Amino acid sequence: MPKVYLTGLGFITSIGNDVASVTRSLRELRHGIEVYAPFQKPEIPVKVAAPVKGFQTDSYDCEDWTYPERYRVKREILRGMGPNAFYAYCAMQQALEDAKLSEADWSNDDTGLYAASGGSPSLMGHMIQKMHAQGVMRCSPLGIVAGIAGTVNFNLVAHFKIKGASTGFSSACASSSHGAGFAYDEIALGRQKRMFVVGAEDGNVDSILPFAGMRALSLQTDPAKASRPFDVARDGFVGTGGATVLVLESEDEVARRGVKPYCELAGWGQASDGHNVAISHPEGLGMRAAMERALKAAKVSPAEVDHINAHATSTPIGDLSEAKALRAIFGPSGAKPLVSSTKALTGHGLSLAGAMETGFCALALREGFIPGSAHITQLDPACADLNIPLVTQDKQANVVLNNSSGFGGANVCLVLKKA
Amino acid sequence: MADVAEQGQKPRDTGLAAPKPFSSAEDEIALRDTLKRCSPASVEAAVQFRKTNDANLVPSVVIGVIERFVEADIRPKLRHGDDELRLVEDLGVDSLTMMEIVILVEDVLQMQINNEELRNLRTVGDVKLFIDCKVRGLPLPKPTKHMPIEQIAAVMPIQPPFLFLNEASISSHAAQGKYKITGQEFFLQGHFKDNPVMPASMMLEALGQLGVLALIEGIIPAEAGRVVDPKTIFFTSCEGVRCHRVCKPGDVLTLSVKPKRAKMPLATFEGLIRVGQEKAAVAEEITLTFGYLEAVATPPAAETGVGALDAAAASAPASATGKASAGSPAVTPGQAAAFVQVGVMPA
Repeated sequence: MPKVYLTGLGFITSIGNDVASVTRSLRELRHGIEVYAPFQKPEIPVKVAAPVKGFQTDSYDCEDWTYPERYRVKREILRGMGPNAFYAYCAMQQALEDAKLSEADWSNDDTGLYAASGGSPSLMGHMIQKMHAQGVMRCSPLGIVAGIAGTVNFNLVAHFKIKGASTGFSSACASSSHGAGFAYDEIALGRQKRMFVVGAEDGNVDSILPFAGMRALSLQTDPAKASRPFDVARDGFVGTGGATVLVLESEDEVARRGVKPYCELAGWGQASDGHNVAISHPEGLGMRAAMERALKAAKVSPAEVDHINAHATSTPIGDLSEAKALRAIFGPSGAKPLVSSTKALTGHGLSLAGAMETGFCALALREGFIPGSAHITQLDPACADLNIPLVTQDKQANVVLNNSSGFGGANVCLVLKKA
Repeated sequence: MADVAEQGQKPRDTGLAAPKPFSSAEDEIALRDTLKRCSPASVEAAVQFRKTNDANLVPSVVIGVIERFVEADIRPKLRHGDDELRLVEDLGVDSLTMMEIVILVEDVLQMQINNEELRNLRTVGDVKLFIDCKVRGLPLPKPTKHMPIEQIAAVMPIQPPFLFLNEASISSHAAQGKYKITGQEFFLQGHFKDNPVMPASMMLEALGQLGVLALIEGIIPAEAGRVVDPKTIFFTSCEGVRCHRVCKPGDVLTLSVKPKRAKMPLATFEGLIRVGQEKAAVAEEITLTFGYLEAVATPPAAETGVGALDAAAASAPASATGKASAGSPAVTPGQAAAFVQVGVMPA
């Protein structure tokens, strides 16, 4: 099967809005978490979030939004987007430029796009509220396009004139990793030469706070302590939004265009817990199976793995479940790959997480470093046997795993190799 | 405008509720917020409308709403007040933007517009007339009919190469057409040497043809059970013609005619030709004669291809066309008496 390479990246994230700033944040472990103004109400116990910087998209009216001048678009483009789709639109522009693609390269039958998002709950909620209050004919004509889960793929495919495969993925926090996995398949099976993989979420009041009801969000008020995967005092995740676009291309296309890839996407695996609608299997069975399948697909042994970007969101149950899965895979061989979670810096981006963290892994592979697992003051004894770096390592990894896990026990593992 | 609509259709229920007057200062603030990206003049017009229910304010509100949704570089077109501007082609208003416009208009004027009504609105004039009828409680205008060249050629007695309409739209109050000067037209050979210019007489011919089409399509309400017979329509006179611009190959003529008077056997239109936003020619009055299907004797077979100006040429050989028809159809004495020489300026 032809190899698949990652040749371009675009980021709108809480830790940077381009490759350079995201790389610096990862290397220096700068987090994007802040005391989030819209949460500062007595009735809201959650106080922190990791919003994207440089964008103000809280209004239901997209014409009120402010954002960097370079992304200026006509109202007719903006009107069908929630914040997530607009972030994705911006990240897409970066990715096209980063991969040095011309319109002829991306708008053709051989190029597709897979995207993941939870939709725009704020716009959807606003529209439904208006519908009930003022009648069905008062819904914005494009409210549904901007609000539902497929909004990112609808908008990007239309506005960038994508002609190949396209669809949306909806497996909660594993969504964009599923998108990357199936995009890999499209190229490896020869169906497409190039695929864009997009993860995007609003990261605002309506997309984050509903998780408070399941007690999944950190109640910390100190941004530097709020997201701390593997720390004994972790108390939940921090919500974030933004978008990441990955450009995947076949080795033939990479050779034809003469571009230097970030890394190779060498294979992937997925498995389900079959356990609980919202809680990871306590022994990490699904995550373990996903990693085993990914390693097998990529023809990589556990001993060859240098680094794992864990899904670890900083919830008490989820991090331990993943730790058990890691122990089951790597323990028997005595392998001690470095394990860290960049969610300490960004918080948890839900559908965005898989693509964003795959992008982080690609940056680290190309730049030759391994991000540390930030904010740990006291490692959870249950994770003490894992090789968790507290600071960034100047070390060139050859093989990196990126894990994602979503509601319903959907688990995905992507295998990345140094190009 | 509404008069034509009244002639054409019986009154019907428009589904319009009387606008709800402001009950509090908050209502006015809410209205102003709803219109926050509209021009100050249109916001004031909307506020006054809600206070006074004065239907004369409606066009300002509607244009203000449309203006708010079109790109900034197109807005000056709207301010010129050209009712023939097409929403899609000239203003870039797609169907979704049209929905946005409708929702805002519905909000501000407190009316309901259904999908079927919406589909018939193609020009700024259509929208203004439609809203005006709604607000005044008048019967709605007849839907604009859009005709591609194939459909035009199928109904017109005038045929290529003497048909100067590429497309047309016929509403209850006006007709609009387009004609692109290709450079291949026979009359450009020799008009002029090394400098092809569309003769003014041909421009008037094109306007006359649009009038013919408008008559065939029923822009003038016919007597009950009768229709205009295409074979009976001929050019009779033209008054107040002024040419403002030379038209050459590549120019797209936007032709429009509006009925001024109509009583069988005569129908008088005012006509205008633009190229882009530039005025090219004006005819204060173009009069055609017509008859109903049963009232007119079957004309000779050779009339296919006879242009609207040809009838005038037949009775007045010194006309500006300089062209005689080979088979002038029979006309009634009354019609013949109405023929006058075409008053075009030298091309």
